[in-house]
Amino acid sequence: MVNNQEQLGNILDLWQLGVGRGAEEEIVDMEDEEAVPTHLNTINSSGGFHVVSTDKLSVQYTSSNLHGHDVGVVQANCPAPAKRLVYYFEIFVKNAGQKGQIAIGFTNEHFKMRRQPGWEANSCGYHGDDGHLYRGQGKGEDFGPPFTSGDIVGGGINYASQQFFFTKNGELVGAINKEVKGDLFPTIAVHSQNEEVNVNFGQQPFVFDIEAYAAEERLKQQMTIEKKSLPLHVSHGIVRSYLLHYGYQDTLNSFDTASKSTIPPISVAQENGVSEQGDMYALSQRKVLRQLIRGGDIDSALVKLREWYPQLVQNDTSTICFLLHSQKFIELVRVGYLEDAVKYARAELSKFFEVTHLSYLLQDCLALLAYEEPLKSSVGYLLNVAQREVVADGVNVMVLSTDPSLKDSQNCLHSRLEKLLRQLTACCLERRLLNGNQGEAFNLHRVLHSTKRSKR
Amino acid sequence: MSKKVITREEWEKRLNDVKIRKEDMNKLVMNFLVTEGYVEAAEKFRMESGTEPDIDLATITDRMAVKKAVQCGNVEDAIEKVNDLNPEILDTNPQLFFHLQQQRLIELIRNGKVEEALEFAQEELAPRGEENQTFLEELERTVALLAFEDVSNCPVGELLDISQRLKTASEVNAAILTSQSHEKDPKLPSLLKMLIWAQNQLDEKTTLLFERCQRSFCVKLRFVRHECLGVAPRPSPSCRSYGVIPGGCHGVAPRL
Repeated sequence: MVNNQEQLGNILDLWQLGVGRGAEEEIVDMEDEEAVPTHLNTINSSGGFHVVSTDKLSVQYTSSNLHGHDVGVVQANCPAPAKRLVYYFEIFVKNAGQKGQIAIGFTNEHFKMRRQPGWEANSCGYHGDDGHLYRGQGKGEDFGPPFTSGDIVGGGINYASQQFFFTKNGELVGAINKEVKGDLFPTIAVHSQNEEVNVNFGQQPFVFDIEAYAAEERLKQQMTIEKKSLPLHVSHGIVRSYLLHYGYQDTLNSFDTASKSTIPPISVAQENGVSEQGDMYALSQRKVLRQLIRGGDIDSALVKLREWYPQLVQNDTSTICFLLHSQKFIELVRVGYLEDAVKYARAELSKFFEVTHLSYLLQDCLALLAYEEPLKSSVGYLLNVAQREVVADGVNVMVLSTDPSLKDSQNCLHSRLEKLLRQLTACCLERRLLNGNQGEAFNLHRVLHSTKRSKR
Repeated sequence: MSKKVITREEWEKRLNDVKIRKEDMNKLVMNFLVTEGYVEAAEKFRMESGTEPDIDLATITDRMAVKKAVQCGNVEDAIEKVNDLNPEILDTNPQLFFHLQQQRLIELIRNGKVEEALEFAQEELAPRGEENQTFLEELERTVALLAFEDVSNCPVGELLDISQRLKTASEVNAAILTSQSHEKDPKLPSLLKMLIWAQNQLDEKTTLLFERCQRSFCVKLRFVRHECLGVAPRPSPSCRSYGVIPGGCHGVAPRL
């Protein structure tokens, strides 16, 4: 007997992924969500030497400096986020004061708050008076030009190259290896009378084109990656097996006809002969079922299933039955036959309340009844065509699982494409983990939308 | 650096935690069909899966006509078609133009038109070779074909291979796509390359626990492999590179 639960767990996951369909972008970004600095921290300040404005976005040195331990240092309210390609912020030097001893840089949480960033271990700073870069000791090194009143200076972390970089008035000044591990706070310091600095954590557009910088960095990585070679026609084979797996038969036929002239017959034959045999299983039946479900004709799909694969629908509280019955219910709501929908729910759906893992999905479905305009409600996603696809995919997997030649029932669950994408995602996450959890993870959704972004 | 052990079970669990949207996979497949010019398949896929293509499907047809002409060896025809589409494509792309002319020469030689080939080489290609050292080397390599009676055994015989036509065809294809401000390559191959790259990097950083770590990767990748080969290979010491590298474990060119 086929184990419904095991086969369809994945499909139910996809259903839940669908819940966020309306706000897709946010969902994707949530995975890597981290706090982002928005203002200056006024609590851990060095006390007495400087004043932070009430909007916590500018700092002024109010006393007169006497020695090296009365620097006015402020950190951002939280560390720079690390699960991304780059982090960047800018300062505007409103007044260079008496000596122009302003610094921008990064420090960790144990930083001595009366010292210039860069003077102490685990910190780094670009100093305005001499244009030197300081990292971990009192002696600086030649780095860039000094900066003074009217200049806009930026500090950033490139997590891909593991470097700090600094900019002045929109131009890159230079980069230096980041030897400090762990969380780093954007930090600014003032150290002579009347020095005043405004900070921009991104609430205003930056003067430096950080998007272009990031794009360039991505391109660098891409160039390295593109050098890897692939076996010939491997993508072709993966696409083909995808079409087979999901039973997109018409597409597959067109694809095969068109590839005859370009793909040497040998590799297609190998593809057919060895790897795809299993997926060829019940191709035309799967195609018919998919078409019926995509067309919203659930009744016919059920009839066909009873005829072809009675074992799949024998148990009327199985997940596959739930998927189909709930979809039928959704279709009734879609066309506004609410009374019929209620009757149908009483006859076919109420029994699923006893199946724990399905009851909350059932609740979502029934909630459609509560709204005058269900499409606009929180469960409106159920009325999307994509929900039909979820059901069609579920039925497809169940039909594949009836293949008697199948040795491992898990094996039919995912297409080769999906397996490879999972492997890719997991590898990239592991790689980031080894990298102190810094840098960008792989995200298929972002990759697919990157073209649109760069066109903007 | 502390050594990290990833067991097979752990890795399986992580793979299971990854959620890939069907919608995104559909888009990836559509992007492949469109970029590679499978216009009918793209249209069918739109109907069967509800995925919208990211380019007007009509523009694919012209592009494919050019590509097909090169694939069939009608290079002159292809050049004319490209110029009909957009004369700037060849004007701004001397390398592409040279490769098309080179392909034309190859076709002449293939068809045994020795005199015509010589004339064409001297008049059309040689002047370009003077401008560019790489072009010159390419030209010399191509002309060398004439020196062999049996080209199937000659060192430059690969120029007559179907893969040379495909290479030229895909170069034209890419140039047309760029001129239509569409990405010239499908995303899928880059992602597969990225997978190889990421696995290699993990490889480097986890050297000492290699045995087990690598095993867990190998097992995972071998599922891909035995789907392809129809047999379950035993883990072998030559599996060092996680098995996805061409020419890896078994002497058969493995596929992802």
